[in-house]
Amino acid sequence: MTTELLQEQQGLPSEVLQKNDVTIMIGGQGGDGTLTVVNLLGRAFRNIGLFIYDSRNVLSRIRGGHADGVIRASTKPIYCIADNVDVLVAFDEEAVEAGEQELSNQAIIVFDSSKGPLDPNYSSRGYTVYNAPLGNLASQHLRKNIFKNTIAFAILGRLMGLEDSLLEQVLRARYERKGKEALEANLKALSLGFEYCNSNIRASSFKIARLGSASNRILSTGNEAVAFGFLAGGGRFFVGYPITPATDIMEWLAPRLPKFGGVVKQAEDELAVINMGLGAAYAGARTMVATSGPGQSLMTEGVGHAGEAEIPIVIVQCQRVGPSTGEPTKNEQSDIYHVVFGSHGEFPRIVIAPGTASECFKMTVDALNIAEKYQLPVFILMDQALCQNSESIEPFDLSSVKIERGKLLSQEQLDSIPLYKRYELTEDGVSPRTIPSLEGGQSQVTGNEHNEFGLVSTDRTNRFRIMHKRMKKLEAAKKDLPRGVVFGPSEAKIGVIGFGSNYGPILESLEQLQEKGFKAKFYQIRTIWPLLEEDLQSFVDTVDTVFVVENNYNGQLASLIKSSVEQRDRIQSICKFDGTSFKPNEITRAVLSSVISGIGA
Amino acid sequence: MTAKFYTPSAPIWCPGCGDFGVLASLKKALSELRIGSKDTVVVGGIGCSGSIHNNLECYGFHSLHGRLLPTAIGIKLANPRLTVIAAGGDGDGYAIGSGHFIHALKRNPSIVYIVMQNGTYGLTKGQPSPTAIPGYEGNVEIPFDAVLTALSIQGSSFVARGFSANQTQLTDLMKKAIMHSNSNKGFAFLEVLSPCVTYNDTYKLWREQVYDLNAERGYDPHNRASAFKRAYELVLQEKIPTGLIFEGEADSLEKNTLTSPVPIAFQDISIEANLPRYQEILNDFH
Ligand SMILES: Cc1ncc(C[n+]2csc(CCOP(=O)(O)OP(=O)(O)O)c2C)c(N)n1
Ligand code: SF4
Ligand SMILES: [Mg+2]
Repeated sequence: MTTELLQEQQGLPSEVLQKNDVTIMIGGQGGDGTLTVVNLLGRAFRNIGLFIYDSRNVLSRIRGGHADGVIRASTKPIYCIADNVDVLVAFDEEAVEAGEQELSNQAIIVFDSSKGPLDPNYSSRGYTVYNAPLGNLASQHLRKNIFKNTIAFAILGRLMGLEDSLLEQVLRARYERKGKEALEANLKALSLGFEYCNSNIRASSFKIARLGSASNRILSTGNEAVAFGFLAGGGRFFVGYPITPATDIMEWLAPRLPKFGGVVKQAEDELAVINMGLGAAYAGARTMVATSGPGQSLMTEGVGHAGEAEIPIVIVQCQRVGPSTGEPTKNEQSDIYHVVFGSHGEFPRIVIAPGTASECFKMTVDALNIAEKYQLPVFILMDQALCQNSESIEPFDLSSVKIERGKLLSQEQLDSIPLYKRYELTEDGVSPRTIPSLEGGQSQVTGNEHNEFGLVSTDRTNRFRIMHKRMKKLEAAKKDLPRGVVFGPSEAKIGVIGFGSNYGPILESLEQLQEKGFKAKFYQIRTIWPLLEEDLQSFVDTVDTVFVVENNYNGQLASLIKSSVEQRDRIQSICKFDGTSFKPNEITRAVLSSVISGIGA
Repeated sequence: MTAKFYTPSAPIWCPGCGDFGVLASLKKALSELRIGSKDTVVVGGIGCSGSIHNNLECYGFHSLHGRLLPTAIGIKLANPRLTVIAAGGDGDGYAIGSGHFIHALKRNPSIVYIVMQNGTYGLTKGQPSPTAIPGYEGNVEIPFDAVLTALSIQGSSFVARGFSANQTQLTDLMKKAIMHSNSNKGFAFLEVLSPCVTYNDTYKLWREQVYDLNAERGYDPHNRASAFKRAYELVLQEKIPTGLIFEGEADSLEKNTLTSPVPIAFQDISIEANLPRYQEILNDFH
């Protein structure tokens, strides 16, 4: 049923503004429970069929410090936070200061006035301000300040024209499991919120559109999708060391993988992580590790070892702001060079980059297959926003999962081989692989340069041949690597390239450009290494300018692309490195200013 | 027909190197215990010592400098039916890999760990290793005693020391170590005094210093506290305690970690075999 039809049936008064897309921010101190409101709203929106996307901005500490959550709901699929916030719930003044940059001109602010009303200047700037003593109401009637979250949820629901019954249903679903007391207190908080609205808020500010009843869509972060993809892709050995924003993967797997006979091991450091992973992979387990930049730095020698010894392993690299400790909870894409080039020596490696939670699931399965088929390290390059923001998406397609283990020999296959060589020179560079316990597959697997049997060799002819053998696996693998996807009108002369969480902002920027009369198209690059040069070249051939959008200072992806296409002068960089994700309109503005100044010249 | 495979290479050590003795007794122990070559994985470290896997007929894995223990643990967890033997130098294990050593003792995986202790970095031509005595090549630090360290870590379950020049004792200790780990009792740590004739020839000195604790009347290798006390007394007297110094009971890593009787390496990971249970997990995403 279309949105319009639904509106008609609901008989909406015409003066209430109908919104198909809304963004809400809830800010306060860490420990205020702002994320509870995000979760409750998410459930309410999903129950009326809307798509949602949320992002949580927390500091790398448990309590205190400004924290906020942003949730967006829309009648169409969304993969980023919108340019502006429509409603801000602020539990303190700092939350208003922190959020103001993002507010739309007509934003509504619900301010917790328990310690006094909000500075009247905000009202004079055009915002609608409700001073609601959220904390006081909660403390007086329920003895616990934390119930201010549920009160805020009630007010938000009313402001957006959500039915009271829907809000109650959501609250029941969440707290029924937590016992009668919790449920009753929360229901009471909900009615406190409604009472506040009855005497202070005359009508809802707008009405959020409905898309129907609860859909079949699921809610997933990129990290959860990677973890599930690993399990479904036959992954049975995971080893990690806690690090934001990668830890969620280990925590998702820890209670689940052992139920399938698998292992989740927390090691003493990332040196142990990668080497334990290599041991398990060598012995026949489908293996994955996950880390962020600092952990990858420690793993670097091990990644080269996987390359030289030809051991299949998947490394999830969840980028955050670097170098050193950087900003652990903030978004950046500055480890592109690190994953593509990090290590001494030369060896084949693959770097793939999903852009949505659905792709995180699917491409993790791909990564496991590619690693085993070509016996090399495969990086899944993530970024903090992709890792930790939630998307509502179609359920993961379990029936599409295929497990391919390449030239892993069975005992039968091995029996028919007259002389087994672990590093046999072959057409595609991939040699037959055995695992310990097979009779006749005995061999040496080593990081020393070696001959076909795996025995140490410094012979120059051998080095030349075995180096070729390893490197040519990369050519062979290309047919299996995730190709880029092009969005937007094919005749467009403005091109945009980006990856990871920039998928969403770029797609929306295309629409904004279109509205302003500029046609642009987007090449979502999904294999960062080796670059699929022909695909890139044919995209660049069709446009006048390519904007490479990435979250780093140097334009790392742009420089890789420049080195692989003929028209390097067509490539321009749009870079952001302040720790926050791109907003669609930031990309739009950057593209426009360049295109317009180009026309002027 | 059974496939043929590589022929082990000949050792590359200097004539007289203690590592020959380690190789000989390891071969003997494996053959006397009738452990199949296909079920044995030897993980080498980096150093002169860390080439021992090339001289054996089995599955060999040459790991990175200092990383043989995590590698071996990964192998064991993927397939606990294997006999997993990690073998490397004192620099490899007590310097660059010392963190893993401590954690392996604490973790108690059922693998054997043989350290060829020569008080020096042989392969890089004679710099002091963590076990070097004061005065050796400018060393000013007190030597690291791995046996005392191993004893002090609760959870360690097998601590022994042999001397490559005493083959009878060493072969016996190797067999005990392999039996300890192969009966899933955990981590069998065996330090072998293995002189480097080229950069630190300690044969004569060590012959005078070694002291076989198992030959001492009343010595109880099952009592951690008295074992530590006795070993420490000997160290203060400039003796080197050898023999099976401690064997205790502690749950092994695999026992506490693995949930299936089928090794991970052989589990059915096909989507068909697991689909209904994956579907249940998918439902939790709603
Ligand atoms: C990361 C790293 N650092 C340094 C080296 C160089 N290196 C090779 S062997 C070795 C020391 C070996 O000493 P030890 O482990 O005692 O073995 P030995 O040769 O005495 O048997 C060093 C430092 C290396 N291979 N890797
Ligand atoms: S240098 Fe020393 S440790 Fe190395 S092989 Fe020669 S004697 Fe053995
Ligand atoms: Mg040494």
